[in-house]
Amino acid sequence: MAELTESGARTVRLRPPRHRIERKAVLWWMVQAIAFPGVLLAASVIVYAWWEDARPWLAVAVIGLAVVTVLTAFVEPFWRYAVHRWEATDEAVYALTGWVVREWRVAPISRIQTVDAVRGPIEQMLGLSTLRVTTASSKGAINIGGLDKDVAADIADRLTVITQQTPGDAT
Amino acid sequence: MSESLPSYRDYEPDPAESTETPWRRLHSRVIWVDVAQTLLSLTPAVLALLVFGTEPSAGTLWPVVAIGVFGTLGAVTDGVRWFFTRYRVTGSYVERRTGVFVRQYRSVRRDRIRSVDATAKLRHRLAGLRVINIGAGQQSSAGESALVLDAILKADAEELRQDLLWARPNGTRGRDGTGQAEAVPAGVLAEARTEPAVDVATDDVDERVFARLRPSWVVYNMFNVWAYIMAIGLLWGGFWLASTFGIDVEGFIDGLADWDELGWGWSIAIGLAVTGAIGVIGLAVNFFTENWNFQLARVAGEHGTQLRTRKGLFTTREVNRDDNRMRGLQISEPLLWRWMGMADTNVVTTGLSLWSSSQPATILPRGPIAVARSVAADVLDVRPSPLDAPLERHPRAALHRRMWWATAITAIAVGVLAWLAATGVVPGWTVWLGATSWPLTLLGALVAYRALGHAVVGSYVVVRSGLMSRSTVALQRKAVSTIALRESVLQRRLGLKTVSAMTAAGWGAYEASDMEGDAAVEFAAAAAPGLLEPFLLREPVHTVR
Repeated sequence: MAELTESGARTVRLRPPRHRIERKAVLWWMVQAIAFPGVLLAASVIVYAWWEDARPWLAVAVIGLAVVTVLTAFVEPFWRYAVHRWEATDEAVYALTGWVVREWRVAPISRIQTVDAVRGPIEQMLGLSTLRVTTASSKGAINIGGLDKDVAADIADRLTVITQQTPGDAT
Repeated sequence: MSESLPSYRDYEPDPAESTETPWRRLHSRVIWVDVAQTLLSLTPAVLALLVFGTEPSAGTLWPVVAIGVFGTLGAVTDGVRWFFTRYRVTGSYVERRTGVFVRQYRSVRRDRIRSVDATAKLRHRLAGLRVINIGAGQQSSAGESALVLDAILKADAEELRQDLLWARPNGTRGRDGTGQAEAVPAGVLAEARTEPAVDVATDDVDERVFARLRPSWVVYNMFNVWAYIMAIGLLWGGFWLASTFGIDVEGFIDGLADWDELGWGWSIAIGLAVTGAIGVIGLAVNFFTENWNFQLARVAGEHGTQLRTRKGLFTTREVNRDDNRMRGLQISEPLLWRWMGMADTNVVTTGLSLWSSSQPATILPRGPIAVARSVAADVLDVRPSPLDAPLERHPRAALHRRMWWATAITAIAVGVLAWLAATGVVPGWTVWLGATSWPLTLLGALVAYRALGHAVVGSYVVVRSGLMSRSTVALQRKAVSTIALRESVLQRRLGLKTVSAMTAAGWGAYEASDMEGDAAVEFAAAAAPGLLEPFLLREPVHTVR
């Protein structure tokens, strides 16, 4: 007879962060994709049309860039939006990012060195903001993109206050 | 930075101090050294012209002329620098004025001085001089000490060092020799390699010596690809010098053997062997000159203890590393030499440049792994040493992931080669060459998989990985500042996660690649105690009976 029993062992799982990012972030990533591989694709298509001798080589570049552009403009943004989560408590900043490779990052408030709300040109147009939290490790920064600009500014202020109250030199 | 380099306006010394303390010159022997250098650098030219009677033409004489000109110019510049340099040590500052056309004033606040290191090139040592590098915790990646005094008498240097590192404002020496000695575990001093320190300088009463040079280590430093590069350099230099002195090198080599009879194969083999032998001998000599009198010790410093290495025959080098900034240790074993147990030992610490040619993070010369491990245990002062701990193996799926990647890389290489062969850029056999590299990449996958390991040992987290160089890192858990778990689509299918522990020290991030999913979360939670706790879900395991 099969019987479910609770053994002493417990599996430990990492729960996802609580908050999702703004829906508008999809648009932000799309515009970015059109700006970077998109423009390159347009340029190579133009050269392809005008310069006949280079066609055998350029065909590879055009096909490759077309694939990359379609992926980054129409797959990556939706995929990222489905994945990205974030949370900032009084003890830690916790973010889940990525698409093909997803990454959970946690940095304790006591080790935070700088907190910035960064806004690029496209983000400014969309009213978005990126929260950038750096620690003493050169590789330990946490970037949370696609936040509402007011939310990001609030968190940046709150984290700055908490960080100042936390003693230690954060290394 | 602005505080360690104040402008004239910021600098407000005690008026009494500034008038009382006279400015001092660097020692006058610097000038004698410069004169000697000038004479020495002109010697080859004189010898070539007078003794060997070489034809004075640009083609034959340029090496000796270059040596003479550079040597003389260097010496004259150095003399001028000496003439215009003054320094003084006041109660709260070390100051230096220098420069001919651009007058430079630099001062370092004494309470900011973190290190005072003495180095000496051969010419300094012969003249009894030392170069003093004063460090004030500035960005070491800038590659510059806060203040350099080049050069002063050895005794003055030692006195200055003592004065700067030990003298506290109240005038007492802030050091407690007996307390330090008591802190040494009884068993440690009894070990064979820690002989009592008898041969070292004046102020080394409270030091623990972890390692000294063992001549057998030369074996680990003789055989590598640098041997050929060194040999080519030596032979090229020798050839030029010989032709300057009118020696017929080609005739000499021709006379050594009947090369025509030996044929090309043997000639090349002999040439390679001789070149290699010269390189190996060169590397051995280089090893001894660099590591002569090598000693690794823990000594008392101003802010707690310091890990100190001293080495060098002609150029002596001493590096002091603040123990408060040490976050762990790393032992790397190069793949091709793993059979002979070769290992490099580095400290994981903040504020030391990893790219510096002097390799300040390296605490032992390349040597046997057994020595590296026992020294590591002493340096960490934890027993059993985290670096000796048995490591958890990673799941089989980690091997599969590496094999997938090896296959994919080979397939892409073959695909590109096939396309190039089809368009006639490369010959057809290169495709087969690409295909035969598959077993090699699979072997690489296996080696990389077998290198994987992780453990949490006491207050340390230990990870091991690496294909060409298997490196084992023990990192203090409290030094972990960010923790990250990563999972690609392929890893997700295989049920794997990669854990990265970020820290301010060393390379910045240390990874345990491809752990089993749940184990990865537990390992991450253990690596940074308490950090992940609020974000964990603990689910009871239901087992079916």
